[in-house]
Amino acid sequence: MEYIIKNGIVYDPLNGINGEKMDICVKDGKIVEDVSSGAKVIDARGKVVMPGGIDSHTHVAGPKVNIGRMFRPEDSKKEIYAKKGLRTGTGFSVPSTYKTGYQYSEMGYTTVIEAAMPPLIARHVHEEFMETPQVDKAAMPLFGNNWFVFEYLKEGDLKKCAAYVAWLLRAARGFAIKIVNPGGTEAWGWGKNVHSIDDPVPYFDITPREIVRGLAEVNEMLGLPHSIHVHPNNLGHPGNWETTLATMDCVKGIKAKPRYGERETVYYNTHTQFHSYGGTSWKDFESKGVEIAEYVNKHDHLVIDVGQVTLDETTTMTADGPMEYDLHMTNGLKWANCDVELETGSGVVPFIYSPKGPVYAVQWAIGLDLFLNTDTDKVLLTTDHPNAGPFTRYPRVIAWLMSKKYRDEWLYNKVHKWAIQRSHVADNDKEYDLYEIAKVTRANQAKVLGLSKEKGHLGVGADADIAIYDINPEEKDGKKIEKAFRYASYVLKKGEVVVKDGEVVKEIYGDTIYVDVRVDESLEQEIMKDLREKFTRYYSINLDNYPVQDAYANSWKVIKIDATDIN
Amino acid sequence: MKELILTLKEDIIVPVEMDAVIPEKIENMTLDEIKNIELPQGNKKVLLKDLFDVELNEDADVSRIIIKNSTIKLKRIGEKMTTGEIIVEGDAGMYVGCEMKGGKIIVNGNADSWAGQNMKGGELIIKGNAKDYVGSAYRGDWRGMSGGKIIVEGNVGNEIGEYMRGGVIHVKGNAGLMAGIHQEGGIIIIEGDVDARVGGEMKKGAIVVYGKVEELLPSFKFEGVVEDPVIKLSKKDEGTPIKGKFYKFSGDYVYNKPKGQLYISVESNPDLI
Ligand SMILES: [Zn+2]
Repeated sequence: MEYIIKNGIVYDPLNGINGEKMDICVKDGKIVEDVSSGAKVIDARGKVVMPGGIDSHTHVAGPKVNIGRMFRPEDSKKEIYAKKGLRTGTGFSVPSTYKTGYQYSEMGYTTVIEAAMPPLIARHVHEEFMETPQVDKAAMPLFGNNWFVFEYLKEGDLKKCAAYVAWLLRAARGFAIKIVNPGGTEAWGWGKNVHSIDDPVPYFDITPREIVRGLAEVNEMLGLPHSIHVHPNNLGHPGNWETTLATMDCVKGIKAKPRYGERETVYYNTHTQFHSYGGTSWKDFESKGVEIAEYVNKHDHLVIDVGQVTLDETTTMTADGPMEYDLHMTNGLKWANCDVELETGSGVVPFIYSPKGPVYAVQWAIGLDLFLNTDTDKVLLTTDHPNAGPFTRYPRVIAWLMSKKYRDEWLYNKVHKWAIQRSHVADNDKEYDLYEIAKVTRANQAKVLGLSKEKGHLGVGADADIAIYDINPEEKDGKKIEKAFRYASYVLKKGEVVVKDGEVVKEIYGDTIYVDVRVDESLEQEIMKDLREKFTRYYSINLDNYPVQDAYANSWKVIKIDATDIN
Repeated sequence: MKELILTLKEDIIVPVEMDAVIPEKIENMTLDEIKNIELPQGNKKVLLKDLFDVELNEDADVSRIIIKNSTIKLKRIGEKMTTGEIIVEGDAGMYVGCEMKGGKIIVNGNADSWAGQNMKGGELIIKGNAKDYVGSAYRGDWRGMSGGKIIVEGNVGNEIGEYMRGGVIHVKGNAGLMAGIHQEGGIIIIEGDVDARVGGEMKKGAIVVYGKVEELLPSFKFEGVVEDPVIKLSKKDEGTPIKGKFYKFSGDYVYNKPKGQLYISVESNPDLI
């Protein structure tokens, strides 16, 4: 199938294209130089053309999402998706799989990364991926509370740790190293937590600093496409901005050496809003968003995603088990939590971010402080779906960023005055333009994930994942911006039109991306000995039954890496 | 105002959802439009006129819908209604008066489960029995009935008033297990007997039982015997007087500082204490 998208106003930051009127040609799922005269024409005159959206941090598949769905029937009732010819679905903050795929697609998103996969239960994640249409998918296994990682790093054996990470990525069909509350979730298994990055983990006697730095080094030894993806300790606690800075700083000096992709950074700090809290309690709680942004702007080794609070009723879920317990003790709402053998744990709690709540208003403002003060090459748009708000609110976040007037409408009329008093949002006049929106929702995401060869841009050879929005680049009306980004005019996935006028018109099953790193054979033999021993002694399942089989994807996209030079 | 009389033509097997037929909607519709209202039936849709004989009086004293030959297969009668009256001749299916905000529903028969779920206002009168979850919250939710009044003249099933926050549930017959579970406000009055665990995990609000209490939870605290008490649920509340001699309990002490009040008739429960 050939298409020519004519006369659109194109925003493609990875190729430096900023609002140029041009044609984009598509053939056989790729962007090409030109097409034959038989190509179908899509008239994009007066419309905005961008690469397909990428979500580098979301929670859409797997056990904790499913627990959210099961224990919140009242969330299912809140939103019902029943469009003609499509699978029905339910759920506002924890939508069912098909609804998730359709709604991302309606917004022009074409790739989403599940940000927390418990390796032991990877099959569940992949099973749900197979039922999530319209987007390419990948999942990040959790490594920050893993016994093997603790022990190898404690012994200072980076090579074995690297070989283990390579093995696990292949076994779980995972994409990158995710670290959540390093050491803290394991401590939670003992009824404890860790707070500073130098607090030792009970029993293992290793510190979060050693875990983060060790895994960052391992990441670069292996040359993974993405950097380590970090949710630091102390999430959601007043005063945690110092822990965040210390964690960001602890990997300084490590050099990015991706063997795939064009990433330059070695550290990705996720949902940074939850980690930029000043004060000593909820009473003197305040934004340290500007201070965090300043650190990010001054250093080249990291990027951040925001985790913008959208002021909705939502469902929180994280592998940060102790944090979810704290949350449940704060709001008194229902709580689920679990331990995943030697690997990780998690918790789930509903949450209501009421605009009139002083703390919630400040949380909202902290996200905006980060967006408005960080260099737009170094920041990514997320809501940590569904933790700070559902992904269907991205268009609203875009509207807050593009229109000072719209932002002020919320700041002065809808949210508690603490937002004005305890952040810098009121004095900030910055308005994002569409080029910057394309960076934070596409270009930056593709680059940091190591996928910028094929995704996040519209150059020749890129995947033909394209979104066309009906919006005037000068638009400042928040409601219009929101509507335009919520329902794209057209979305092409792999060169096929999947959305037209905001409606899904074609169902397509994307790829599941994973990383397969080959390491030296004798090194692999050594870690297999350790694995066999631990599986026999501690795991509830057999080592041979552990790896995810080939059947667990509609189609795999394998990123092969040769790291046999580690020995 | 309009009075709509619907007479069910014959018994139905697959349940039908009636929430599109409420007084305020009927007011703005012609007879023809009313006859062609689509009603979900299982995974299909049927037209109102296919199931019912339809009669419309244009000059009624109140906006009213009368459903004749009603059966337990007619679900969601009066859901979300805000005004007017619905009179059900026969039984009402699940969710009668669900989320209603105003107006009045009279069921001259029995009601299935979830009558008055998440009710916010208005009046729901059931002349026969009602099954479980009268005036409850939606499954999974912790925000239940917040206002209005439900009167059941017969018996009710289990877990009535679950997560109730306001309003009144008055049962003239008996109640099953866990009446007022998780109650956080409002009053439940039960004239008959109640099964075990009345008021389990209640935090606020009041429950009055005139009949026999099968078994009392140990997490309630005895506060003494009171005669003709006036129940006050807040400082501003002018109070609801009740007649008789009651054991008064506070609870449920599975929580810290609960404010729930439980009144149990002394006469019907001579050996309770
Ligand atoms: Zn997350």
